[in-house]
Amino acid sequence: MSNFLQTLLIGVSSGSIYALMALALVLVWRSTRVVNFAQAGQAIISTYIGYEANFHLHNYWESVVVAVVAGAILGAAVEGLVMRPLAKRIRGTAATDIAPVIATLGVLGLIRSLAGLIWGNTFVQYPSPLSAKGYTIGKTVIQFSPQSAAIVVGTALVMLAFALLFNYTRLGLALRASSFQPEISRLAGIKVDRIRLVGWACAGAAGAVAGALVTPTSYLSPNSLDLLLVSGFVAAVIGGLDSLVGAGVGGLILGVGFAFILEYIGASLTFLSGFIILIFVLLVKPAGIMGKRGGRSA
Amino acid sequence: MSSSTRLLLTLAIGAALIFASSFIDELHVYYGAEIAVYLIAISSIVLLTGFSGQLSLGHGALMAIGAYSCILSYNGWHLPLVGALIVGALTTAFAGYILGFAAARLRGPYLAGATLALAVGIPSLANQFHVLGGETGLSFDVGDIPQWVTNSWFVKAGGQDYTSYKWYFLIAVSCALPTIWVLHNFLHGASGRRFKAMRSHPAAASLIGINIARSKVLAFTASSAVAGLAGGLFALVISTEPNSFTLSLSFLLVTGAVLSGISNLYGSIIGAMVLVAIPELSASVATHLGNSEKVIANLPGVITSLLLILTVLILPNGAHWKPSKS
Repeated sequence: MSNFLQTLLIGVSSGSIYALMALALVLVWRSTRVVNFAQAGQAIISTYIGYEANFHLHNYWESVVVAVVAGAILGAAVEGLVMRPLAKRIRGTAATDIAPVIATLGVLGLIRSLAGLIWGNTFVQYPSPLSAKGYTIGKTVIQFSPQSAAIVVGTALVMLAFALLFNYTRLGLALRASSFQPEISRLAGIKVDRIRLVGWACAGAAGAVAGALVTPTSYLSPNSLDLLLVSGFVAAVIGGLDSLVGAGVGGLILGVGFAFILEYIGASLTFLSGFIILIFVLLVKPAGIMGKRGGRSA
Repeated sequence: MSSSTRLLLTLAIGAALIFASSFIDELHVYYGAEIAVYLIAISSIVLLTGFSGQLSLGHGALMAIGAYSCILSYNGWHLPLVGALIVGALTTAFAGYILGFAAARLRGPYLAGATLALAVGIPSLANQFHVLGGETGLSFDVGDIPQWVTNSWFVKAGGQDYTSYKWYFLIAVSCALPTIWVLHNFLHGASGRRFKAMRSHPAAASLIGINIARSKVLAFTASSAVAGLAGGLFALVISTEPNSFTLSLSFLLVTGAVLSGISNLYGSIIGAMVLVAIPELSASVATHLGNSEKVIANLPGVITSLLLILTVLILPNGAHWKPSKS
């Protein structure tokens, strides 16, 4: 199998994780106009909870479910305990742009330190029943394992679930309406605050899926999802920060891009190339960058 | 108070601090040096975020640029220490100038994300290039303390050994106080007023003829220069390892600036003292909790993050930010 196709496959599986993370950021952005820099941190906690569940239940797939529920609760807690009180205090002040960002950073720092306090700063394994060894095609072992396949399939399922939720359910309609026109939604009888909480919970769940799926391919530590912190954001921005489809496409583009940079240029430049791609996208394709609200459909 | 009175006062405070340092024990003088370094670094965030309204999570990376260019010019060109620190500040200012053009087009969360990516990206460069010294960082040995310092009367007055930590304190204070003096004049002059106008009401500011983009680039450049100076001193006083210039440092600086009241230049001293005090405080708390490694490593993070969240919740506009009347 050619080197090129292998790199492409690696890119697709890591891109799926970025896409899930970007999806989580987009869900939060759509419901409260906040970029949640704590998202990767929330995923760390939910993954640790999944790791504990796996330890006691001895069943990876059940532990993933536990992690997803924990992630959803955590997302709702961050919105309810920190972000909503803050939003009420800063309405109409000069701090509306900056204070929420700082608050999510505070939550990220708190989560990382708490994870270290509880589970220690060491690396732990969160094994899955699927092999992380690559498939063998002909005589060569490729770097695409059953776990990578699970990542791609899992991401596709989550994306599909959210697409169905947003387009075919009353809850999805309420989510769309309250992010588009909160005041009018309130008049129409939608409990906007509660719907926003649901948005954050959905985002937490999506992030939890990302954490629980990607961790068996490496290891778990309080900082092990740092790359997701940046790449999820970059992927979301590539997709326009407002669209679920955009998050998926952005994640795949970034994943494949990173895979090729890693393969053909060098490992240390991966992080910096994330910055360069981000700046390039922000400067060249400013849709959504200048805060224009036009064209925001479901 | 006129500018020259303030200059005299600044010099007097500096002389008093340095004189006092020869009477105080080494450890506390070292804390003083750390505070001076953080004071400079936080004031760069105060300039950028508090006055011009741009949020940077990449100042840890800018400090790394300052530190590395300072050390490389000191070791390579054998510049005097002052010259190397200036080279560090100028190099970082140039990097900030380029970054400023991108930053001027970005708003709140986008700028935060872009600078975040920078903060994660820059320190990993040190491992890529041999000339940057790998994971241990470059060595930064400023040699013996000059004779004129050890022989001067105000050092001998204390009657103690004048150790290198006290020498670092002298250097850091002699950099910090003039920096604050310059920043005060800068921020209370025409530029500072333009920044404030731009932050609180961009549309009105541009209507009265303020060039928003140029002001933003200027703010980013000036802030980077200060951060670069802080980076050189950070390398001298605290650490030269690339791992100490990571995201955590950037977060720490933002926390310090928020605790300072974000647009309060003199509040930076409070932020700096808190940043230095927290690891010490939490170390003593950790001792009570049985000295486990987990607690020692993570308690400072818990405390600083909690402080950050609470400060933002209680004073989301900073000590001085007033609601805009839009």
